[in-house]
Amino acid sequence: MAGIAADDADVVALLMRQHGDIRNLFDEVEKAGGEERRAAFRRLVRLLAVHETAEEEVVHPFTRTSVPDGEAVVEARLAEEREAKEVLSRLDGMDTDDPKFLPGLDALRKDVMAHARSEERYEFIHIRRSADKARLASMATALRAAEAMAPTHPHPGTESAAKNLTLGPVAAVIDRTRDAVRKALGKDG
Amino acid sequence: MGFNPLEHRGIPLERQIRSWRELDVEPVDPDRGDPYTKCRIITMNGIEVEAILFNHQLARHCPDMEVKRQLAEVRYAEAQQQKAVNWLLPGLASVLETTISYEQVAVDLTGWIARHEPDPYLKQAYEFGVLEDFDHLYRYANLYEMIEHRKADSIVENLTEVMPGRPTKFHHRHPADNVREPYDRTTVNPLSKLHALTVMSAEQQTMNFYLNVGPQYMEPIARQLYQEIGLIEEEHVTHYESLVDPGETWWEQLVNHEYNECYLYHSFMEQESDPKVKAIWDLHLNMELEHLHIACDLMRRHDGRDPREILAPELPNVLTFEPNKAYLRELLDTQMDLTTLGAGYVRDAHERFERMQEQIHGGEEPPSERVMAQHREMFGREYRHQTEGEHPDVASREKN
Repeated sequence: MAGIAADDADVVALLMRQHGDIRNLFDEVEKAGGEERRAAFRRLVRLLAVHETAEEEVVHPFTRTSVPDGEAVVEARLAEEREAKEVLSRLDGMDTDDPKFLPGLDALRKDVMAHARSEERYEFIHIRRSADKARLASMATALRAAEAMAPTHPHPGTESAAKNLTLGPVAAVIDRTRDAVRKALGKDG
Repeated sequence: MGFNPLEHRGIPLERQIRSWRELDVEPVDPDRGDPYTKCRIITMNGIEVEAILFNHQLARHCPDMEVKRQLAEVRYAEAQQQKAVNWLLPGLASVLETTISYEQVAVDLTGWIARHEPDPYLKQAYEFGVLEDFDHLYRYANLYEMIEHRKADSIVENLTEVMPGRPTKFHHRHPADNVREPYDRTTVNPLSKLHALTVMSAEQQTMNFYLNVGPQYMEPIARQLYQEIGLIEEEHVTHYESLVDPGETWWEQLVNHEYNECYLYHSFMEQESDPKVKAIWDLHLNMELEHLHIACDLMRRHDGRDPREILAPELPNVLTFEPNKAYLRELLDTQMDLTTLGAGYVRDAHERFERMQEQIHGGEEPPSERVMAQHREMFGREYRHQTEGEHPDVASREKN
């Protein structure tokens, strides 16, 4: 059985920690103001996109094929995801200093958290039960490749408006994440 | 003038049964509420669970059918109260997050009670215990960061510090050394009886919680840590329950339970910041007043004594959830190396203690030490939340 300290060995441990990173970023966005909040929110949007893309590419396919009634489990998760994405898209077009931003962020936080807890309780638990050690590890490698697309902490000097522009819109981040994950899966799978 | 629960009548018992709609309480926000609101919920859940279990024990010893039926009726109301209270906790919280709130309760409830306890022997019992809860909070907080990448200060905020207390591995004492001397019911300050019942109930609930939820974790170190700390909760329940005078009659104990529930609901109503939760404390206080009234009647009838003889003339000052940082730091500075011998406290690792330590550890590091080693391996540091500066005990400071 994979221990939680064995960093690379268990995709579920990694995913749960990413859920924590997402919650930490919500806190950061809420506490920051002005330009800092804008930057933290961009990081949050990017991390959410990367995390969900990686789950769609790595985790859900495994659940569909290897977990009893996996199709239904994934469908329920995707419905939660769609709900969160709708809230996110409303928020994404808004200025982070807009008085409606924080209430919207709070609604998104709750949706995302409910989704994350459902994954942990109703999907991940089956993955740990059904996947062998090698499979948990190869999925973890793919997830790590995706993680590299979304830094959770700002790197000094790199988080300028220009850099954000070069990272491009969310759709491009999703594309790049998907490519990175598929490449990693191809190499290891 | 203070509040004397004996002078108030509450909601008549036949009107206390609630429908599903009334029991369907809205849970608190796991991340944005007052941490002490969660602490009050966890405390009252422990109090209600003790009320239910005590009432069951009493009923099992009660041959009078009419009284048995009356006990069942009150107990059903308490069971509904327990549901309404504990269901305020959010499903969004993980087991570990709830655990960290349980330990915040243990630290700040026991800390406050130690500060306000008039009897020096009882005060020492709380001071001894709180340093252990304090260390449990630190171990669970490190486990939490490993599993969920979140820091425990997102749960306890700046109200409670997180750093080592008396090291958990030294909490495993010979069971006989966990039995304390009881207070004397005829001379003790009535407040002391409430304190003992409150801390005992909270620790009992913590014991029950850990022994049930521990195996829900898949991570080996998490399962093991819950097992280890769960066993220490058994020691703590032994420690605190032995403070209560066993010479109290069943009816006297029933009155004390109901009186304490009035005291705590009243206290929490006075300080609650969440209006929806406050409404529940208010409602439950009004239910408890009636339960107390019934208990007093039973005591008068079966013991032939007036409950006023054993109760304070009015409720003591409200029991308050508030930071106890300075007090805890003083204890960390002076009582870290205590253990128990018989009903007293010593600083030496005596023979019986050493033998127990050898037996339970079997020459290996226990889970509470391994969790720290694994955390350091992952993060290159420990998780601590020291808002008031360095650890007062030099040996307990983090080594680089």
